[in-house]
Amino acid sequence: MNGALKITLAASLVAGLAACGNDDERSGPLGVLAQTASQVVAQRRAADQPVVAPKSPQEAAAEALRVNPGPLIQAGFESLDRTQVMALTGQNGALRTYMTPAEEALILRGGMLVGTRGLGHDLSVAEPQTETLIRAGATGTGVRIMRYFAGDGVERPLQFSCTVGAGPRPGVTVESCQGHGTSFQNSYMVAGGQIAVSRQWIGPNLGYVTIQTLRP
Amino acid sequence: MATTLPIALVLGSAGTTAVAEPMYGRSMSTYGLPGGIDTPTAETLPDGTLGATVSWSDYARRSNIVFQALPGLTTVLRYSRIDGINDYRDNGYITDRSLDLRYQVLDEQGWRPALAVGLQDFLGTGVYSGEYIVATKTVTPSVRVSAGLGWGVLAGKPRTIDIDDEGGTPNVDDWFRGGARPFASVSWQVNDRLSLVAEYSNTDYVARYSNGQVFQQGDEPGSSLNLGAYYSFGRAYQVGVYSIGGNSFGAQFSIALNPREAPYPSGLEKAPAPVRPRPSPGADPDGWSGVWAQDPTAQPAIQAALGDAMADEGQILESMALSSSRAEVRLRNTRYINQAEAVGRTARLMTRALPPSVETFVITSTAEGLPTSSVTLRRSDVERLENTEAGQIAAASVLSDAPAGAPGLVRSEGVYPRFRWSIKPTLNLGIFSAEDGLTHEVGAEARASYEIAPGLVLTGALRQRVFGNIERRGPGIPGQRGEYYTAEEYEADPSLETTPEGVPRVRSDTRMYSGNDSPVIPELTLAYYAKPTPAVYTRVTAGLLERAYGGVSAEVLWKPAGSPLALGAEVNRVRKRDFDQLFDFRDYEVTMGHVSAYYEFANGFTAQVDVGKYLAGDKGATVSLTREFANGWRLGAYATKTDLSSEEFGEGSFDKGVTLSIPLGWATGQPSRERVNANLRSLSRDGGAQLNVRDRLYDQVRESHSVKLYEGWGRFWR
Repeated sequence: MNGALKITLAASLVAGLAACGNDDERSGPLGVLAQTASQVVAQRRAADQPVVAPKSPQEAAAEALRVNPGPLIQAGFESLDRTQVMALTGQNGALRTYMTPAEEALILRGGMLVGTRGLGHDLSVAEPQTETLIRAGATGTGVRIMRYFAGDGVERPLQFSCTVGAGPRPGVTVESCQGHGTSFQNSYMVAGGQIAVSRQWIGPNLGYVTIQTLRP
Repeated sequence: MATTLPIALVLGSAGTTAVAEPMYGRSMSTYGLPGGIDTPTAETLPDGTLGATVSWSDYARRSNIVFQALPGLTTVLRYSRIDGINDYRDNGYITDRSLDLRYQVLDEQGWRPALAVGLQDFLGTGVYSGEYIVATKTVTPSVRVSAGLGWGVLAGKPRTIDIDDEGGTPNVDDWFRGGARPFASVSWQVNDRLSLVAEYSNTDYVARYSNGQVFQQGDEPGSSLNLGAYYSFGRAYQVGVYSIGGNSFGAQFSIALNPREAPYPSGLEKAPAPVRPRPSPGADPDGWSGVWAQDPTAQPAIQAALGDAMADEGQILESMALSSSRAEVRLRNTRYINQAEAVGRTARLMTRALPPSVETFVITSTAEGLPTSSVTLRRSDVERLENTEAGQIAAASVLSDAPAGAPGLVRSEGVYPRFRWSIKPTLNLGIFSAEDGLTHEVGAEARASYEIAPGLVLTGALRQRVFGNIERRGPGIPGQRGEYYTAEEYEADPSLETTPEGVPRVRSDTRMYSGNDSPVIPELTLAYYAKPTPAVYTRVTAGLLERAYGGVSAEVLWKPAGSPLALGAEVNRVRKRDFDQLFDFRDYEVTMGHVSAYYEFANGFTAQVDVGKYLAGDKGATVSLTREFANGWRLGAYATKTDLSSEEFGEGSFDKGVTLSIPLGWATGQPSRERVNANLRSLSRDGGAQLNVRDRLYDQVRESHSVKLYEGWGRFWR
């Protein structure tokens, strides 16, 4: 407790020194680092603080459905160990952008993951040739291209070869992909051409996300 | 792209042209390159790696900075404290800078070993001067063997050091001469973290001087066998211990950063507002017909709404021209390191703010109030290509020069005049000073800028030192190495402001400007930027231009948006400022300037050549070469040679240095245009000294020009 307080004080002192002014553009390296440090501290505090009654994903979903009249999904990011309700913020043709309150986004096309934003290791865009097979519940093979930012700031494609078929559980279609020394398995529950529930691989760093449609 | 490389190589550390994992070094030598202990190997580091190794032993404390400038080219800048050698300072050690180059001629392939050629300490007075050819072969996946031929120090035949040489120039005549002897090493990668190295080395750690003095550094090695153990931890660190000849021991620490390995490669910025497609013509007949454009209240309302939305994205909507079918916005990007991200986010906001009949989007970037380039997009392409590969929207867009004005352009309310201020702590560090070791100065700086109109900026700064050990002093006393004039002596005798060789002291008395306990004014300027034609930019800056000079600086730059070539010229009439850094001047006055050519090569290299007259009135040229990554990392080197002789210039013979700039967003993931900059120059000398005027045109203008814009284009849909 004491330690956390000390960190907060130190960080805000630096921030106070550094971020004084109205010039965001040139707040100085110290200013930016102090901001980052304050954010980290804020996050830690948020995590430390005992929430009055930690909401289960079910309770969070129920509350979101009550508050928000629009389309909603619930996304469980496995590597981040968090489950969040995301609301529709834009629709361009079949593409739907869902966002968390912190403005992290998942972009879906009829439930198929097409991209992520704001997560740090985002999937820029996925081009799955297996999409029609999956929606039709058919069996077959196809190529899946996933584009990411490499560390040097250039967008680079990864190409995987995928096999689509029925999974061990009835009603579940499984897409198994391989390439670049790794492999992953996406699972989809399709109803009427729409993917209602799925577990899909975002990328090498973020791993899998489980997506459940709360309100289509 | 048909690659099957492992993910880590595609997204992490390897270039796109690699066909197999190149032979990367596993441990660093005491000289800071991939190698054995004292001997080199033919290994490299991943392209672009920037690293540092500090190595301590009875022989020396070496601080090495390594940069893998090209996939095969490894460069090292070294600052050593060499024990056992006495010079005029009589400290029992000397400090020495040295530079190494190694080129891997062949990478390992099949039965063929990797082969490299290297020059060690090849500039001037080299205690470590030597050359080598070395081959390295992977014997089993965990064992590598290297063998080579060394000359100079590597052959145990150190060259005689000319005590009168000012250093800094290559002694090509000595290279690969004086008899070669073999060296060899074997390294065993025990597991992911630990590697063991044994080597046979002929280095005898003797230094010979032209005045007959011979020094043994540390103890004479007991044998030619050296042993080392290295342990890697984290992503970037390595510690090692080693023994030289069985009787001397040493320890070292290395860090390696790769610009290609960002903690958050895609950034942590908030998701962009998605494209809003237009309703069907039936649903919004007025919007599609364009009759709304007749309404005089339409543009102000739209401009205000778009400006607010852009402000949330860190973009300033400076002005806008709107007709029923076309909209041009002029934006100032204050947040994203890649201009393409600013353009892409603005394009999406435009789909949300503009009536359906507007089909043509012109997004013009500005710098210092001047338009620098225009990206023209069709709205239907933005709608159609959202969430596709960024290359598609690049192909559907047009980049063009932007004229200073455009018909119908309306300035946004409240953008000008713009007043900005900040108070922030400052920290100056001096690391590579031979005399002083690590020096620092901590203080606070208040800075304000007032943009009166587009392109007209008043800037001022006030700085107060709080504490530090960079004290005020005069330049070195000629003929008495290691002795300095006191500040009082220097100030009392104006004749000291010219060296005995007749060179005006334009930079060598830079320490006279340090250590001020009262407030100083580092700069106070009025700058005017203009754009007489769509590809020509001009700047005039007047006032206290930098801490040591004030006057007028005028610059003109020709840089078409689609051209990798730019040409510029600059003329400055400046006077030396008084050491109190307020409003007084000293007697020295000079008109200087240069003409410049800039060229942006493919794969991120930029070259610049300046020819002209420098601060001391000497004439010459500066060549600089910079490597730049799409994520904003910049590493460069420059050299200036003027008509001053080596004797007139002094130690180092000519001016040279290394520059480094790392965007903070690379490290934190938060979007920011802030950078951490470092400038390592060999010495503060009077020859080839440039005026440090702020905001020269080239770097400002080219942010939104073809090479840089398309290099970062992947962020359009970010």
